[in-house]
Amino acid sequence: MSLLDLQDLVQSVADGVMFGATYALIGIGFTLIFGVMHKINLSYAAASVGAAYLSLLVVSLVPTPLVYLAAALAGGVLGALVYVVCFRFLPLDKPLATLMSTVGMLLLLEEAIVHLTAGMPQNYPAAFSGANIDIGPFMIRGDLLFVFALGCTAMVGLKLLLERTRLGLATRAVAQQAVAARLCGMGVDRTNASTFVIAGLLGGTAGAMTGAAIGVLSPLLTLPLTVKGLVVTVIGGLGSIPGAIVAGLIVGGVENLFQFWRGVAERDIYVMLMLFAFLVFRPGGLFKPPAGRD
Amino acid sequence: MTPRLLRQRLAFAAIGAALLAALPAAAQERTIKIYGFGAKSGVVRIFGLNSEAAMKAAAEQINKAGGVTLGDGTKARLVVDYLDDRCNAEEGINALRRIASQNDAIVAVGPTCSNVAEPVFGILQKKVGDASDSGLQFPLYTDVAAKGGLASISQWAFRNVPSEAAMYKSLFEWIKATRPDVKTIWGGVEKDFAHSNATYNVMKANAEKAGFEVKGTSEWLLADTTFSTQVREMRRGEADLVAISAHPFTTCGVLKEMQRQGVKPKMLVGLTSSSSMETLQGCAAQAEGVLIPTSFAPVTPEAKMAAEAVQAQGANMDLHNAAAWENIFTLKEIIEKQKIMGKPETVQADRQKMREALAGLKQTQGLLGPVGRGDDREAIKPFLFVQAKGGQWTVAHKPAP
Repeated sequence: MSLLDLQDLVQSVADGVMFGATYALIGIGFTLIFGVMHKINLSYAAASVGAAYLSLLVVSLVPTPLVYLAAALAGGVLGALVYVVCFRFLPLDKPLATLMSTVGMLLLLEEAIVHLTAGMPQNYPAAFSGANIDIGPFMIRGDLLFVFALGCTAMVGLKLLLERTRLGLATRAVAQQAVAARLCGMGVDRTNASTFVIAGLLGGTAGAMTGAAIGVLSPLLTLPLTVKGLVVTVIGGLGSIPGAIVAGLIVGGVENLFQFWRGVAERDIYVMLMLFAFLVFRPGGLFKPPAGRD
Repeated sequence: MTPRLLRQRLAFAAIGAALLAALPAAAQERTIKIYGFGAKSGVVRIFGLNSEAAMKAAAEQINKAGGVTLGDGTKARLVVDYLDDRCNAEEGINALRRIASQNDAIVAVGPTCSNVAEPVFGILQKKVGDASDSGLQFPLYTDVAAKGGLASISQWAFRNVPSEAAMYKSLFEWIKATRPDVKTIWGGVEKDFAHSNATYNVMKANAEKAGFEVKGTSEWLLADTTFSTQVREMRRGEADLVAISAHPFTTCGVLKEMQRQGVKPKMLVGLTSSSSMETLQGCAAQAEGVLIPTSFAPVTPEAKMAAEAVQAQGANMDLHNAAAWENIFTLKEIIEKQKIMGKPETVQADRQKMREALAGLKQTQGLLGPVGRGDDREAIKPFLFVQAKGGQWTVAHKPAP
């Protein structure tokens, strides 16, 4: 391997790690719903992309940061909608029912995007376009650094929310024992809806950041982001928010490493092998959450 | 009953009888249905929407001019019925079987996706008159599915799709002749999409034949979200020309990554399917200058009129649905010349006549000029090269026929 090859390899992995920040943002939302609320929402990534699409309604009216804010808000609304349609009126003791309802919602959201845009890719405004940091022969994208910082902020924010606020306490209580939580006077539906809205706000932001990082939105994004979000959630450890961030970066890095090394035809095989390796040898993920009551 | 009341009742009865008599007359207005099928949902929904709009716009023009004359001399209105196959092989086969089971179906236009066309052509009878082959005996006149050579699968399959081999041969020869500073090429291909992959092989072969050195190829998948490794390969290749064989979503992703990494080749060449509004909607700034061969541009009075008619249907005309428009006019001529009856009892004979007429075609009238027909039932279409400039497709060169 020549020096140039080595430089390219390092740069590719670095690019992948940085792009992994977008997977991390999606993974945090997944882990909040899966790991903390103990609910399965497979439409999460599709709703995130849908929120980014909705923010295009204001793209010509407001500056770019407000477009991202609009995406976050739209994500919150879609989060509430997903809760009402897929969870609120379904028996929660039958997880397969909610699993299938969210698969249906995933397909519905994807098809809605396709019908509204005829499947045409839409230009999405980039964050810090062209703001790159050069370190010797290497380059780090400023926009992806921003996404990474956003992920870390979300991690801290969610940790504080879950551990230091009444809503966080209620969320954990409802997830652990809904009947007991209701007997203690907690509004189970309100708590669930609030958590879905918060996860949706984060999802909308993730959708916007993914669109900004690629520069284009397409309904093609929904399925790969769902798969990446699930992989990140498993590798990071169900319910571990720091785990989701680290796993997102690892998945991005591994993806690009094998893209460089083995090419596009084999790349995803290795990512999936990594997932299976975690499921077999470390099923709790990178940061296994403490057992028992949290 | 008073005489006045009686008169009133008689008058109402007479009016009612007259209306009833008029109803069958209205119902007897003849129609002839042209079926279409293609992707009207899923991520390539735009292909089906555009094709349906072009077929309907063409049928509307024909109906305004008096419709189509059937074999028994009566005039009929052309009606288009378009089915959705979701760009899925299984659904495409189902759509064609459903169409073929109708007693008013004499021909179908479609499908839009090559990965559907290949298996759909496979369920047709391979050789006409082969009693041992139980395949469908139904004429299919494809407008969009672009992968080369597919019509050879069945003698019931005909295509009005431009030859990408001829287009890229001409394009690279023209570049060679007009841009002596361009000597090397780097390719980029969406590896998991049948059309992109097949066309990249066509691009590469013709570039090499024209005397260019193809220094390497970067590969990605249809739903990829990051292209940094692939574009870094391109940057290292330092080729004069980058040829991208991919659909608009990843074409735009790659072009944006090229901009980020400062990859500025002297020329950019794109896939035929990307010469549409989708690319400009996704990345007009980054696509500036990209050169694409196409079999449609509104450069003749007929093409301009067709583009306007399709726009009135809420769609855009491009190389794909221009073929759908042309097909409807060709089918109208065949119906009239072959004296097709369009009756349930003649449907099998009508299908045979339609196939024979399509097989006998040597030339049809296209929007850019005459369209030839090869022995392989593939079209030989006129084409030109368009270039993205200021968010519009402009004509860069029209090769001599």
